[in-house]
Order: sequence, then structure tokens, then C-alpha cells
Amino acid sequence: MDPITAHRHGLHTVPVTERDRLAAAARAAGLRLASGDLDRLLPAWKRYIALVEELRAQVVAEPDA
Amino acid sequence: MTALARSLRARTLSPVELVDAYLTRIEAGRDLRAFITEPGATAHGQAQRAAERLARGETGALLGVPVALKDLFSTRGMRTTVGSRILRDWVPAVDAAVVTRLREAGAIVFGKTNLHEFAYGVSTANPWWGVARNPVDPRRSPGGSSGGSAIAVVAGMCAAAIGSDTGGSIRIPAALCGCVGLKPTRGALPLDGAYPLGWSLDHAGPLTRTVADAGLLFEVLSGRTLPPRVRTRGLRVGLVQSNITRRVQLGVRARVEAAALGLRRAGLHVREVTIPELDWTVATQLVTLRAEASAVHARWIRQRPKAYGPDVRARLQLGALVSGADYVVAQRARDRIREAVRQVFEHVDVLVLPTTPITAPVIGDRVARWGSDEEPVDGALVRLTSPFNLSGVPALSVPFGAAAGLPVGVQVVGPWNDEPRVLAVGRLIEALAGA
Repeated sequence: MDPITAHRHGLHTVPVTERDRLAAAARAAGLRLASGDLDRLLPAWKRYIALVEELRAQVVAEPDA
Repeated sequence: MTALARSLRARTLSPVELVDAYLTRIEAGRDLRAFITEPGATAHGQAQRAAERLARGETGALLGVPVALKDLFSTRGMRTTVGSRILRDWVPAVDAAVVTRLREAGAIVFGKTNLHEFAYGVSTANPWWGVARNPVDPRRSPGGSSGGSAIAVVAGMCAAAIGSDTGGSIRIPAALCGCVGLKPTRGALPLDGAYPLGWSLDHAGPLTRTVADAGLLFEVLSGRTLPPRVRTRGLRVGLVQSNITRRVQLGVRARVEAAALGLRRAGLHVREVTIPELDWTVATQLVTLRAEASAVHARWIRQRPKAYGPDVRARLQLGALVSGADYVVAQRARDRIREAVRQVFEHVDVLVLPTTPITAPVIGDRVARWGSDEEPVDGALVRLTSPFNLSGVPALSVPFGAAAGLPVGVQVVGPWNDEPRVLAVGRLIEALAGA
């Protein structure tokens, strides 16, 4: 179900892009970000996510699912 | 500064004359934007009182010596802006602990120096108080966040200055401008009254013209007494060779190798060491600092985001998105970095590496180029200093000549609380630079 359909059905929207995820995380953190702010933060946010994933993979041994 | 203090005690130089000389230089170098609050009239009053005390035969390690303060140390009755618009009118009621110790030693509190807004960045391109400029080449950045302190020392606007270092903010501007910068062991100097950036990473420390001056200020500020002599011959020196030292400008690398060669000739045992855990530094420092800084600014960044400059606003907004899980991962990595650094000192007495992989960048440059690759300038500047904020061990930047006319800093790092050896090796490198 795409986010618009989900919304029409009264369900929570599901973030589908990195930009959506950033917007959702910012709302959850209580930040007031305009569309231009999101665009400015997006490249650094993507770099941050990649760095943390790499660090997690190297530092934290997770059991196989 | 040690020589100045001697001349003041011998009364061959008066504190009033000294203050006047520094004020003249401050006026001449105003375009460098070293100060947010210049010393002004209060300095004359302090100098006059110091002159009277000297005339009465009173002593004090810094009696009559003008020392500038990064404008994040609270000063009773004197504006403390933290380089921000938000705190532009804040006048603290009490001194920071390091300021109290300076005053007790007789120092003249000599103005408040420029810094990156809230100390959160390494350019000192301050949107509210002016873009600071490197005194060696004003087209270039002095580094930061204690950029104004380094400028004031190198341009001869004070005898010494105090800065703070959360990822390299003392050592980076010291290296880029060409002075000495000491980040002592975490906790050796009190942080009461220092406006926080990252509570587990912050350190206070001196920026000076000589290593001996850094030692004197360390003694005054820490309350510890350094041994008069530390033997350096026979010390084991680890020249750090890891992925984080792979990308270093050729001119910088050449200077560090020359310093290592000089140490070898002076009878120290130099060998290469690898610390693979340092590869995690960039991510670990980023997550830790983003989370901690945004905890400090949690309310303002949500209520008054436009009151911050664009770069600091973006860092704080991104920091508000760091999850608890990410912070825990970073602290696990940090534990392993700290342990790896501790273990390397079972095999060597000090580490040596560049303070920064690049010389002072042109103001506004955003990327450092490595062949076809690019690295953000601010990331490059903290890459070799932040491991020692994460691990808390003492680290000193000593000027060691120049690459293409720009100063190069060599970093000396020691085990926890071993400032005496770090300073002793620093003095040796300083002597080699002058040889």
C-alpha cells in the first residue's frame, strides 16, 4: 500500500524515501524543519546513516536471525 | 611568557607597559578578528594593581602577565558570548574555575577571544562576531574552535591564551597558526564555568608560544607541579601509521618524518605503530559529539533554530536525530579505542603523528582533495586529534616548520596523566625545529 493510500485508509503513513525518513525523524524529535531545511540536511543525514551502519557492523556482533 | 614573568618580577618591565604593547598590536591586527571582547580599560586597572603588588615584592607565577580567554569561559562581570547571538549579552556572576586559578596566580585577564559559534566547528568563521583570519596568511582559516586564541598568541596580542578542545579545538588552531597547544589529560583541568559542547569530550588547555609556557600554564591551572627535568634519551616513540594517517599532505608528512628523524638522532627509539581501532574515530566522534552537543542545546534548537548560524544549526538539528542505540554503539567503539590506546602505551612511551593532515585551508574551502577523492575539510581537520578526546590522554601540538609557507604541527601524545613526558618530548621537538 503506498503512503497516500495508507493515509486515505486512516493508517499511519510509512516513510518510503530517505527524505521521508529524515522528515519523520525530525518530527518525532520535535524539530521544525521547512522543506528547504530537509534538503540541506539530507546529504549529511545520509552520510551519518552510512557511517553508523558501518560502525555497527564492525563493533557490534549480532546473532544471525 | 616565562621570560616575561621573570622580567616583571625583576621590575625591568612593567605590567602597564606590557599591556600597552599588546593593546597596540590588538588594534593593528583588528582585521584578524581575534577578539570578541577586547581587553579595554579593565586591563589597565589590573596592570596597575599588578605593578603595585610587584613593587611590594609580592610574587605569583603569572603576576602581571596578560592571558586571553576563549569566550566560553565565564568571567565575572565581563560579557561571555560563547561566540553566539543567543548569549550576546550574558554577563556571568562568577568566574570559571580556570579563570579563578589564573587570577590567583596574578594573571591579567586579557579579553575574550573569538571562537566558532558555541565551539561547534573548526573554522572560527563566526557569523555573529566576524570571520577569524590566520595571521600567517589572512586569506586562510586559523582553524578552530579556539581560533581567536591562536591568532592572539601568534600575532603577539597577549602572552598566552586559554582554549578548549572537544575534538581538537586547541591543537588544530595551534597547528594551523603556528603556536603550541596542549590538551591535557581529561579531568586534569577543571571545566566548571566553561560552556559545554560535549560533556564527555571537553577539555580546557593553554595555547602558547613555547612548550615551557604551556607547562607553566598547565601547572597553574591543574595545581600539579611538573618535574624540573625529564630524561628523553632512550624513550620509545611510536610513529602512528594507520588508515587515519594514510591521507596526509606530502609537505606535512615530510615535516613529521623530519621530526621523527630528529628524535632518533637525539637518542630516542622511534618505530612505527599501528592502532587499527583508530579507524573508528570519525564515526565514533561524530555520533558522540552530535548527541552530546544537541543535549546541551535541546531547547534552543527546537524553539529558536534561526538564532544559530547555518552550519551549527544543521549540526545541532542532525544531533537531535541521534538515537540512543547509535550512541550506545559509539560508546562501545569508544571503549575499544580507549583500550587500544592504553595498550599501545605498554610498548611505547609517546606517540607522534601530524596534528592535522592539511595546512591552513583557504577560508570557505569545504573539501580537502586526495587524488580523485574528497574529504570535508572539517572532518579532515579533526581526524588526527579526536582520537585523544575519545581516549582522554594528553596531547600536545608543537610547531615544526612549514609546508609551502604554512605552519605544520607535530602532535605528541602520552599515556593518562603523563604530561611531563609529553612536554619533555615537545620541548625536544621545539629545539629541533629551531636547530
